[in-house]
Amino acid sequence: MPEIATETTTPVEQEQTQEPRRRRRRRRGGPPASEERSGVWYPRWYWPSFIAPGTIALIFLFVLPFYVVFSVAFGTVDFNNFGTAVPYYAPWWWSFHTFNGTLQQFYAGTHIYQAPLFRTFEYVIAASIICLVLGYTVAYYTARYATKYKGLILILLVSPFWISYLMRIYAWQGLLDVNGPINKILGPFGFGHTNFLEGKPITIILGLVYGYIPFMILPIYASLDRIQESLLEAGRDLGGSGAQTFWRVTLPLSRPAILAGIVIVTLPMFGDYYTNDLLGSTKTSMFGNLISQQTEATAGSTRAASLVLILSVIVLIPMMYYLRETRKQVEQA
Amino acid sequence: MSVAVTPEAPARGIRGYIRNPWRKPRFLQATTIGYLLWSMLPVLIAVFFSFNSGRSRSSWQGFGLTWWSTSPTDSILHDAEIRAAMLQTFKLSFLTVIIAVPLGTLFAIGIDRWHGRPARAANFTMLLSFVVPEIILGVSLYILFTSLFKDIIPLGTNAQLLGLVAYQVSYPVIIVRARLLTIGPEYEEAAMDLGSTPNQAIKRVLLPLLIPAIFASVALVFADTVDDFVTVQALSAGSTSQTLAMKIYSAARASPTPEVNAAATVMLITTLLVIAGGVLFYKRFSKGQELGGATDFAQL
Amino acid sequence: MRHPKDMSRRQFLTRAGGAAVAMPSLAAILAACTKPGTASSGGNSALDNIPIATLDAPVTLPTVQDPIASDAPMESGPLILYNWADYIYKKVVQDFETKYGVDVQITTFNNLEEGIQKVVNGQVVPDVFVPTPGYLRRLVAKDLLQPLNHDLIPNMTSTVWPSYSNPGPYYDLGWKYSVPYTIYTWGVAYRRDLIVPGNETASDQSIAQQGWDALWNHDYAGQISLYDSYGDTIAITILRNGSLDVNTQDPAVIDAAKQAIEQTINDNDARLTINGVYAKLPAGDYVVAEAWSGDIVGAQFYLPKNLTTDVLGYWKPADGKTMIGNDLLVIPKSSQNPRLAHAFLNFMLDDKEGTENFTQWNGYQPPFNSIQPDTLVKDGIVPESLASAVVTEDMFKKDLTPYELPPDVDQLWLDAWTEIKAGA
Repeated sequence: MPEIATETTTPVEQEQTQEPRRRRRRRRGGPPASEERSGVWYPRWYWPSFIAPGTIALIFLFVLPFYVVFSVAFGTVDFNNFGTAVPYYAPWWWSFHTFNGTLQQFYAGTHIYQAPLFRTFEYVIAASIICLVLGYTVAYYTARYATKYKGLILILLVSPFWISYLMRIYAWQGLLDVNGPINKILGPFGFGHTNFLEGKPITIILGLVYGYIPFMILPIYASLDRIQESLLEAGRDLGGSGAQTFWRVTLPLSRPAILAGIVIVTLPMFGDYYTNDLLGSTKTSMFGNLISQQTEATAGSTRAASLVLILSVIVLIPMMYYLRETRKQVEQA
Repeated sequence: MSVAVTPEAPARGIRGYIRNPWRKPRFLQATTIGYLLWSMLPVLIAVFFSFNSGRSRSSWQGFGLTWWSTSPTDSILHDAEIRAAMLQTFKLSFLTVIIAVPLGTLFAIGIDRWHGRPARAANFTMLLSFVVPEIILGVSLYILFTSLFKDIIPLGTNAQLLGLVAYQVSYPVIIVRARLLTIGPEYEEAAMDLGSTPNQAIKRVLLPLLIPAIFASVALVFADTVDDFVTVQALSAGSTSQTLAMKIYSAARASPTPEVNAAATVMLITTLLVIAGGVLFYKRFSKGQELGGATDFAQL
Repeated sequence: MRHPKDMSRRQFLTRAGGAAVAMPSLAAILAACTKPGTASSGGNSALDNIPIATLDAPVTLPTVQDPIASDAPMESGPLILYNWADYIYKKVVQDFETKYGVDVQITTFNNLEEGIQKVVNGQVVPDVFVPTPGYLRRLVAKDLLQPLNHDLIPNMTSTVWPSYSNPGPYYDLGWKYSVPYTIYTWGVAYRRDLIVPGNETASDQSIAQQGWDALWNHDYAGQISLYDSYGDTIAITILRNGSLDVNTQDPAVIDAAKQAIEQTINDNDARLTINGVYAKLPAGDYVVAEAWSGDIVGAQFYLPKNLTTDVLGYWKPADGKTMIGNDLLVIPKSSQNPRLAHAFLNFMLDDKEGTENFTQWNGYQPPFNSIQPDTLVKDGIVPESLASAVVTEDMFKKDLTPYELPPDVDQLWLDAWTEIKAGA
């Protein structure tokens, strides 16, 4: 019976008996009950050390640059030195003159930035809607109906990821040329010599769709793929038609993926400028073009930085919403 | 249509087609096929035109290897600039993968296991860096490297590498994290109950379980870096830090020749080989686990 | 379970992290703590207050250091040339490489503003740079250039027009920092076979009659090209609007030019390009374009096989109604290969090499004694239809010269250009 065995404890057992003391002294953010139960112990700094390198990288390469952007936007330029930026790092020196001027160009005075801003919203919203509708259709077909060729279709759907975005838009530049194949095909129909590249909104919108739609298709496909057939059959068994089953079962189940897809597609589009550079003209310039033009212009750094801040605010709201949603989902998982 | 001969068939024609729950999804099928053609054809045509014998990228002037090898100054075989650009692209991609994937994987493991408030803040920042439009990150880093870090980190390959790491590190985090959500802490705990140290548990139990996710990250980060444009353009300095994406961009805005098509084709094939190689390698490595590259990424 | 290794890992991490954070930040923080002053010239007062040069008030640029010694050893390169895109013949570069046994790396810019920015903030560290005279004063004032050793560039006095070396150009008396690269005028390039289809003489007459307005003609909608360069395009629009003050400080004139440019972009789909004249006009994408004279001469090398040089035309406005200028070759102070750079400048001023650059590829005329405008057309170097693109020395006295603008005026021009580019 036990009274003999207890005094000779092995080192492992010794350490284990020390544990409860250790755990009571721990004052952490509160591990969930499952961890407590398991009785496994990690040193206090263990997990933080995993996070440390990544966090340091982020602080230096993401947080700090953002602060410098503030400093430049609220700084000044040295006209005697080719208009290079003079950042004011300490907040009490910040001057809001250029920033206010830039902001005002969106709504007051000559409002030269107003048209590009509205255009950007127009193009992004139109492109996102097309991406959603077309992307959902393709994802739906691939997930539900494409049994024989599913692998091939998936490979083709994933391929845009490893084909350079620029190359794909560059390919379109060749096709849309006035003397190019598209115009040759349209020739007999009377559209003949349309210059698609001279600053047509439809070219830009379709270009954006072309570039970003793969990011919409894959999340939706993944989520539709996971929906069990039984749920859909249940819906049908309960008397719903095809359309009703879709509306009431499939769509809600894929809602998180739709949200993710929209965010992944829309946010980068706001900052896109090379699509317009390659397929459009100044008539279709977007917000990203405003920024890139100021970064190249003499004495434009404060304005470029101000525009970056304004763009960040514009995308901040959808970003926050998205982050909140994902956090909720993660907590539910 | 399929409803031709069965006696119990409902009404024929279009109405019948729509009502039939087991009909072939012709509309969806047509859309999907149409989409795939629309997606793939331009690239195939661009590859095709790289074999054009003349200067045009849109009107066919006969088959020729002008831009691949025969032209003495403008073929990719002889044009040192294009070759340098291709090399720079691969160099950056390779180095970014080596730095970003371990960083991201460690980060994901740490975030998953530690639930303190600093962890949540770090996680938030990481997700933020994922959704921010690239131009914001590119211009911010450009401003950083030309003002605060002006003489410490010059623009060029080093700056480009740092910029790419900053932009890409969130990819592995998301993918690995998604995977970790499906793996609980039980395996490591079992290992530690059996006497291993935490490090050994991670190395021998968790990491092998994460291999598919890590491979997916490698593939995605590599592919994403190969075509990254905004960051490398903003942080470039001179011809030695030009990547192929930058060359395509400047050629497209200036005077494009099929030489660019040829170079882009080379990049395409190389990336394809790398990814195919990775997939095969991983399949041999870990049988029986789901190939969830795209799906893992999609589980945000 | 205390591993000694664990302890040291934590220490290592904290220390490494601390060091990584502390070092650069410390330096930067110290620098940032003092409020940035205004316009510090870095200590050399001789470089302050260099006046803006004009033809009536030429300027001798101050030197604050000696040029490199004549017997300095030749470096091994590679020579970094920072130049406009498509602005130098690759074969000439290869000849230089063979002669000196070095590599030449060409980095290009599409836009001089972008080029200047990259040189100023150290993004590109070239050995040879190709700016315009309008930037020379500022580059010298910021101590970014090194003075030239005249003994290492003997071709300057033997090959180039004497007025460039003695007394020297108005912006650089005594050619202390620069040598000229090419000379050119501004005009309208057009396709003689497409303006009045099939009748080239009628096309010439039509364009000569329209003048700059050809770029505002709705008949050519979608086929008009302007330069993506604020100084050039605003200046020719000022000329089109009737004024001759291409260095105007009058906001009303600038505003009128801005509106005119916006009008032709919006109504006539005029495009802003940099290479439209030589890359796209021969292909028929454009039928009229704002052009530097060298661009249209160089366009002959881009013609498709079925077209002859007869289809290219250049309208140069009457004497005194257009601008004339030249580009420079300079050596930045931070150059790693100054001796090699001097050799390169000398090489480009070599009669044979510089002329080959012009006649075989570039289209831009260098100011050489051996290039006689009368024989250029006769010898077939410049197509007969482009005879007006030839630049003669007396044009420098008759035509207008674009000068550097004072900063506040420059800002007006830049703001107008920002509005045009934003597509407002």
